[in-house]
Amino acid sequence: MKKSEGMTPRERVVNTIHFRKADVLPWYESYYEDTVVKWLSEGLPAHKILKIEWKLRPSHILMNRPVFTGFDLYTFFGTTNLRGLVVPVDGGPIPRFKQRKIGETERYQEYVMESGAIARRLKGEYSWYSMPQFVEFPVKDMESWEKYKERLNPDDPRRYPLDWDKEAYLNLFEEYQEGATMLYITGFYGFGAELMGIPQFNLAFYKDPELIHDMASYWEYFNIERLRDAVEALKDRIDIVFWWEDLATRHGPNISPRLYREFLLPHYRRVIGFLNKNKIDRVMMDSDGNLYPILDLIVEAGITGLWPLEVNAGMDVRLVRKKYGEKLFLAGNLDKRKVAEGGEAMRSEVDSKVPFMKESGG
Amino acid sequence: MSSSCYLLEAYVKIYISLELLSWWREIKSMDLHEKIANTIVNLEDSNKLGTLIKEALEKKISPNEIIEKGLRKGLEKVGQKFEMGEYFLSELLFAASMVEDAIRVLMPLLSARSTENKGTIILGTVRGDIHDIGKNIFKMLMEANGFKVYDLGVDVRPEDFVDKVKEVKPDIVGLSALLTTTLPEMKVVIEELKRAGVREKVKVLLGGNAVTEEFGKKIGADKVAKDAVQGVNFCKEWIAK
Repeated sequence: MKKSEGMTPRERVVNTIHFRKADVLPWYESYYEDTVVKWLSEGLPAHKILKIEWKLRPSHILMNRPVFTGFDLYTFFGTTNLRGLVVPVDGGPIPRFKQRKIGETERYQEYVMESGAIARRLKGEYSWYSMPQFVEFPVKDMESWEKYKERLNPDDPRRYPLDWDKEAYLNLFEEYQEGATMLYITGFYGFGAELMGIPQFNLAFYKDPELIHDMASYWEYFNIERLRDAVEALKDRIDIVFWWEDLATRHGPNISPRLYREFLLPHYRRVIGFLNKNKIDRVMMDSDGNLYPILDLIVEAGITGLWPLEVNAGMDVRLVRKKYGEKLFLAGNLDKRKVAEGGEAMRSEVDSKVPFMKESGG
Repeated sequence: MSSSCYLLEAYVKIYISLELLSWWREIKSMDLHEKIANTIVNLEDSNKLGTLIKEALEKKISPNEIIEKGLRKGLEKVGQKFEMGEYFLSELLFAASMVEDAIRVLMPLLSARSTENKGTIILGTVRGDIHDIGKNIFKMLMEANGFKVYDLGVDVRPEDFVDKVKEVKPDIVGLSALLTTTLPEMKVVIEELKRAGVREKVKVLLGGNAVTEEFGKKIGADKVAKDAVQGVNFCKEWIAK
């Protein structure tokens, strides 16, 4: 990526999340596929955003072919791609469940997804960012969990790329400075909810605590071991951990502080402890909803950043900063409804938060 | 003393004894109701709940009374704790599942009259939206609270809401939407209810992450619930009036 005056995008992100000065605050946006399609239909120049690379296709062993690999709106709009460089370790089930359509009506398509869940979605939606309707989940009890575990072997060589070579990847990351280097971890709540569905997973904390303890212990082991090689090799390069787990709604967290302390905290401390030992200390949790009741525990677990601080759930970046200071770097919290309104509403939303955050850093 | 006086004295004594016995029974059953409610509130194991229910039945307490004064009272307190931020989703779901399981066991013992529902609601996620987690949690709580729920599912067309209203004549219509983009569908449903002449016969309750009170007022809904417990409380208030 072209280096604009001053810092690289990576330096901007790294400085900001460490509460150091950045020449320009990184502006992170997500561009959903549906949005891109709409913008393209409205005149966004395709030739300026589509990315095409030459790759070996599995069916063309020695033949390089141009392949559409996605789109780059970050450069086009001058925003930051926080997920630009991702540490390439697979955290999903291996082998994958074969994704296939198993039913169709006039309005829906029903799929077995790669996670093993069965889901329905409306026809005509390009992306899955808007959650599909889950019909069935792969883990229901200890027996189905034991079976699922067989696909979560952390030592399976297929978790790393075919061309995995530590030095080569370090060089590659150095060469591309388009954003921070990111390591993905799905937090235990996100992991369990994806495997069991939110209601059943939440119920199991009371109905089958042994199952939850076992899942949490295995989640810890699985993540540390699958990442060990990459983390130890790239520890000087990994800038930020993206810790996904949507565990709250507008009302509050889905699990109580007591359950968080008992079931999640010990494992979180060990996984994050492993990262900290390898000099990785910026862990950004991605969760919608009202997190106030468990924020102390989140900090105690070792999480050091929060995103997106959902306004609709009452999260306020100014309050969180006042209470937690530099313990948490913060991202998001601009009310999308005000942005959609535009004009004065949008301006006043930005003015009420951005200058304060710029001043306090992080 | 005349024999009639003796008779009167005996009658009074028997009457007082019976009153005392009934009062004692009531105290004992109150005690049991409270124990049952507390088992729910304290999220204790279902074996304990089963034992208490068995004890109550042996003491000739009616299943309906067990449900109303024990189980649902407990669930109501759990709802209050949820509203106060003391309990969270896991606690709420577990308590509701305890009540549902217990009611299932008691169901065959209930007389037809005592199984009358508290009210009827038609529920669905509006057209274009297929999210159902919140709706399903609300449904579970409504059923545990004795409501008859007609769940039309997700992606429900406005005309299907209207047809069902005409068919089952519910007290309430509950509309759910997660996506900002499907909010306008809620307005369409309300307009269709008006057009069919049934809007005034039902209360309309909105729920879902994207819904705000302001929006609810704007489109003419009766209430907007910020969570499942608040939604249940609104419905109970409507039925009580």
